[in-house]
Amino acid sequence: MSIPDYMQCAEDHQTVLVVVQPVGIVPEDEFFRIYKRITSVAQVSIRDSQRNLYIRYRHHYLPENNEWGDFQTHRKVVGLISVTTCGSAKEWPQTSDRFHCQKDVFGATLYDSRLLVFGLQGEIAEQQRTDVAFYPSYDDCPDVEKRVEDFVESIFIVLESKRLDRATDKSGDKIPLLCVPFEKKDFVGLDTDSRHYKKRCQGRMRKHVGDLCLQAGMLQDALVHYHMAVELLRSVNDFLWLGAALEGLCSASVIFHYPGGTAGKASGREPSLAHGALTANGISADTSSEIGRAKNCLGPEDIIEKYKEAISYYGKYKNAGVIELEACVKAVRVLAIQKRAMEASEFLQNAVYINLGQLSEEEKIQRYSILSELYHLIGFHRKSAFFKRVAAMQCVAPTIPEPGWRACYKLLLETLSGYSLCLDPKDFSKGSHRGWAAVQVRLLHELVYASRRMGNPGLSVRHLSFLLQTMLDLLSDQEKKEVTQSLENYTSKCPGGMEVLTLPDGLKLPPVPLSKLPIVRSVKLLDLPVSLRPHKQKGLLENNMSSKSPFIYSPIIMHTRGEERTKKIEFRWVQGDVCEVQLMVYNPMPFELRVEHMGLLTSGVEFEALPAALSLPAESGLYPVTLVGVPRTAGNINISGYHTSVFGVTSDCLLDGLPSVRTSGCVVEVIPSLPRLQLSTSLPRSAHPLRPSKEELSSSVSVQLFNGETQQLTITLENIGSEDLETLEVTSKTCNTKEKLFGEFLSWDLEEAVSQLPLKPGQSVTLTVNVKVRLDFSGGENLLQDLNDDGISVTGLPISSPLRQVLKPRAETKPLGSESSKTDYNHVKTLEAVMTFKYSGGAGKMEGYYRDLSLGVHVDVEPSVFFTRVSTLPATRTRQCHLLLDVFNSTEHELMVSANNNQDLVLHPSECQRMAIQVAKFDFHTLPQPDQEAVRYTNPKLLEEERLHAQASMISSTLGITWNIISFDGEASVEGVLNQLVLEHLQLAPLQWDVVVNGKPCDCDIIADCKVGDAVPLEVKLTNRSKNAVGPFALTVVPFQDYQNGVQNYDLQDAVTFIGSNTFYIDMVKPTENSACMGALLFLYTGDFYLNIKFQDDSAGQGKELPPSWFGLPSVHIKALEAPIEAGA
Amino acid sequence: MAVCIAVIAKENYPLYIRSVPVQNELKFHYTVHTSLDVVEEKISAVGKAMADQRELYLGLLYPTEDYKVYGYVTNSKVKFVIVADSSNTSLRDNEIRSMFRKLHNSFTDVMCNPFYNPGDTIQSKAFDSMVSAMMVQAS
Repeated sequence: MSIPDYMQCAEDHQTVLVVVQPVGIVPEDEFFRIYKRITSVAQVSIRDSQRNLYIRYRHHYLPENNEWGDFQTHRKVVGLISVTTCGSAKEWPQTSDRFHCQKDVFGATLYDSRLLVFGLQGEIAEQQRTDVAFYPSYDDCPDVEKRVEDFVESIFIVLESKRLDRATDKSGDKIPLLCVPFEKKDFVGLDTDSRHYKKRCQGRMRKHVGDLCLQAGMLQDALVHYHMAVELLRSVNDFLWLGAALEGLCSASVIFHYPGGTAGKASGREPSLAHGALTANGISADTSSEIGRAKNCLGPEDIIEKYKEAISYYGKYKNAGVIELEACVKAVRVLAIQKRAMEASEFLQNAVYINLGQLSEEEKIQRYSILSELYHLIGFHRKSAFFKRVAAMQCVAPTIPEPGWRACYKLLLETLSGYSLCLDPKDFSKGSHRGWAAVQVRLLHELVYASRRMGNPGLSVRHLSFLLQTMLDLLSDQEKKEVTQSLENYTSKCPGGMEVLTLPDGLKLPPVPLSKLPIVRSVKLLDLPVSLRPHKQKGLLENNMSSKSPFIYSPIIMHTRGEERTKKIEFRWVQGDVCEVQLMVYNPMPFELRVEHMGLLTSGVEFEALPAALSLPAESGLYPVTLVGVPRTAGNINISGYHTSVFGVTSDCLLDGLPSVRTSGCVVEVIPSLPRLQLSTSLPRSAHPLRPSKEELSSSVSVQLFNGETQQLTITLENIGSEDLETLEVTSKTCNTKEKLFGEFLSWDLEEAVSQLPLKPGQSVTLTVNVKVRLDFSGGENLLQDLNDDGISVTGLPISSPLRQVLKPRAETKPLGSESSKTDYNHVKTLEAVMTFKYSGGAGKMEGYYRDLSLGVHVDVEPSVFFTRVSTLPATRTRQCHLLLDVFNSTEHELMVSANNNQDLVLHPSECQRMAIQVAKFDFHTLPQPDQEAVRYTNPKLLEEERLHAQASMISSTLGITWNIISFDGEASVEGVLNQLVLEHLQLAPLQWDVVVNGKPCDCDIIADCKVGDAVPLEVKLTNRSKNAVGPFALTVVPFQDYQNGVQNYDLQDAVTFIGSNTFYIDMVKPTENSACMGALLFLYTGDFYLNIKFQDDSAGQGKELPPSWFGLPSVHIKALEAPIEAGA
Repeated sequence: MAVCIAVIAKENYPLYIRSVPVQNELKFHYTVHTSLDVVEEKISAVGKAMADQRELYLGLLYPTEDYKVYGYVTNSKVKFVIVADSSNTSLRDNEIRSMFRKLHNSFTDVMCNPFYNPGDTIQSKAFDSMVSAMMVQAS
């Protein structure tokens, strides 16, 4: 007996063994179908006796084991059922012979046998036999079970008779000595008459009867017999049989205590067994037997003690190794039921060391597997896994000619739970790795190897990826290198993917995304470049009342975790435009990592990911990687993860599964497509960005101009998108000017460009922008002082003759005081402005979106001319005056300055010359008044400034001063130069005095003609434009003659006579009204006369309150001519 | 003396493991790993009522052909396992106990280190040298 039956359990002792075997040619599947039906009859209750017979079926049993039948009767084959196919009557005799041959194998021990013949057609000539049953086919055999039951009953009858035969104590008879095969020769020549020998025979027989009783369902009797046997055998030191008797005692007790069985799985027993056992064992019988049985029966503790004892006795015999092993297994099963794992483990530990001699590889595997199973049974999962792994290794031991890699792999998979390893990488994503890494890594390596040898590289790749993904931190650099190398080798045969691998036995291997190669630290969605960012049209039904709360404001923020990820991002993406996502990645490997096809995984919107390939240096720090893609439809896009291909393994890493990845939201709105404009200009691009970089600019240009110069900037806008450009708006904003800017800096005409809309893709439109720089032309701060101490400030009193000669002689070219002031003049100033092109079109326009394109214009303004001084001189006419400008050429070129109706002035570099321009005084009242609405809301200071500015620009445009340097020309503006004082001089007084002589208005340099002797009417008219009423005034007209030599003759009483008074009285004049008074003169002689109109003293009081310049009355020059003779006649 | 000393975390993963024949370390990994079954069994066998006055020393976990495996569990369920050579009969239970006590003291020192994160593998030099002193000197 060499092959242990590891499946044995204690209750097998009460079964009878029946072998079911095929005879002749029987299809295997048909045989097992019949076998299964036969084995369903595992328990038969015997009529009349209320006892149960349990049957154990085997389809394979070694005759060698049968020889141990006397030792333990459940090992004895007592029944044989043969299954055969017999096509015709002709074959029958042969079949019958075969059956008899088979019977002979177990002949010595058989109680009964049956032959089931299938497929027979026709009749058999032979007479009906009880041990043969004929069925037409395997499918048509309804009474197989019935027949088996009959068969079992017949076995029972034999068993019962044997039991009774042996049990009845015929003390006179000589009791045969029962012995096990290896004992036979030991007893040769022994004294059969000795007391010792007799006792031995008795003891062994008692034990045998006990077995039979147990089989026959008489538990009580069996216990009694076993007890007797133990006593008898103990006294004669027959250890092997003592062990058997003790084991029998244990088995019977186990059967009593655990009617549910100890095999763990329901081994063909009916669920109502407990009840059946009770009745079968005679609960109806008198209670004394019940009590007696309880007395004989061992307690749970005792069972184990007795098992231990039995096993120790078995251990004395080398040949009883199998018995010992089986006893261990049985004891472990009992202990497992009792939940005494520690003791069970001791039994198992013992079982491990039982030497069964030379075991075949297959037996070893079986042994390890069963050890593993038993350890599992007692809850020692690690130990179980250990033995299962040993079994797996045994499958592929080098001594085996054909290694069973498939079996090895299967067994290895079963060990996973013992090493608390789950092949789903999701279990590892939470926190750091926990588990016994060393053994787990080893197991994974073995799985990889086994699957490779199995010829399934796909599995190898999956396991290797898993190893890399989950154990990366625990691998040494060398291991990392090796693992990745082998991974690359495998993937060259079978690329790894994201599909779930299903093993033949149904185990599913989930995909392993390699999210640690490289490790992604953060995911950030990037906004479009400034020029492509869409903006929402304001006022277009902004329904972004996103707050769900009914409150406008609440300090309680409904904050839920994980919201961050789904949080929507402020900016928007545009359909059809390339969008970017920035990942911060790093390579944990000690070598360069090549990542291919790295792309984005998205949901919500059709998205065309443009994969990138990257190569990360060894142990790199954080490394930014930008992944791009183009949304093809509009809607909300969710960046759910990324896709990589590393070492030939493609993985889809979802961000949900990567809690370590920081992200500021992954959902972004994609709006319908918008056109795209590309801007190019005629000017060179600016190297330096605009200084106030608070706004990002799509592009900028720079140009260098002289102050006052105008440059044309041609801007070409090309539609490079796929949508029609439908609207275009242009605005500009001057930024950051400390410098005072006069006039419009940028001006353009959009009409022509707009007329070309809509602009088809590929077309372009041009726009011409005039860049006009007119900065302050004033020469500096000290201007005003110079003017004042010059002493030529005009009092405003009428000066009848030009006072040029009164002026202090001035150096024509004034050398500049110091070098420092010169550099001050040469200081290059910058002007910056941003032009914004707002455009829209296509589907995006429908949704109210537009795009901005901004162009920065940077102009370096070189100074051209300066007006270092400015002053006024009254002109000969009261309504005019002279503006004196000191013009300084700060350039290095010869410069020509000209003004309206004035001669050109040529200035050499760094030359300063005075320029006089005669201008009519300005009536600023004609300037448009700011409307009342604006006045009310604006700062009065601002208003005042605006007014000044308007006045200055009016002056400037009237003057029209231009300069010319070789080929450049430009304008110069005096706006900045003019101060309040000068302005006042240039302004028409609010009181306007008109003197009309002879019906003609008269001014200083107009000579009125009149005839001697004729009365010359003189009218003085006052128009009040001031805000207050003025007057009354008294005016006296004093005539005089100027001899042009400095002598003025006022003594003209005989040459000029007044008709009426020479004094005019003007009453109070209300604002905007006028008043006139008339008088007349009579010239008595010919000659040139002047009339000086003076205010009389009585109105001086009045006049003092008003500025003197308001009383600028023209002096009148009248030429009295000889009256025509004919008239005089 | 010991041939292998291991410290195992509450969650049953090794915090520290060291064995003398370095070339066959994995064998000891398996030995210690499987001994955890017994440790768990012993802990659960004691029962909850007795938990506070439980003996930390678990005694011999299981003998193998070549080695004897001893166990010790702290109150925080950190396990110490010492594997000793079976042939070394001079090793008494008391000596094993004192070895465990020393191990426990040293482990407490490691835990007291404010720079040590509970759950990390032990890299303390003091602990290492203490363990070395308890190990069989590789001849």
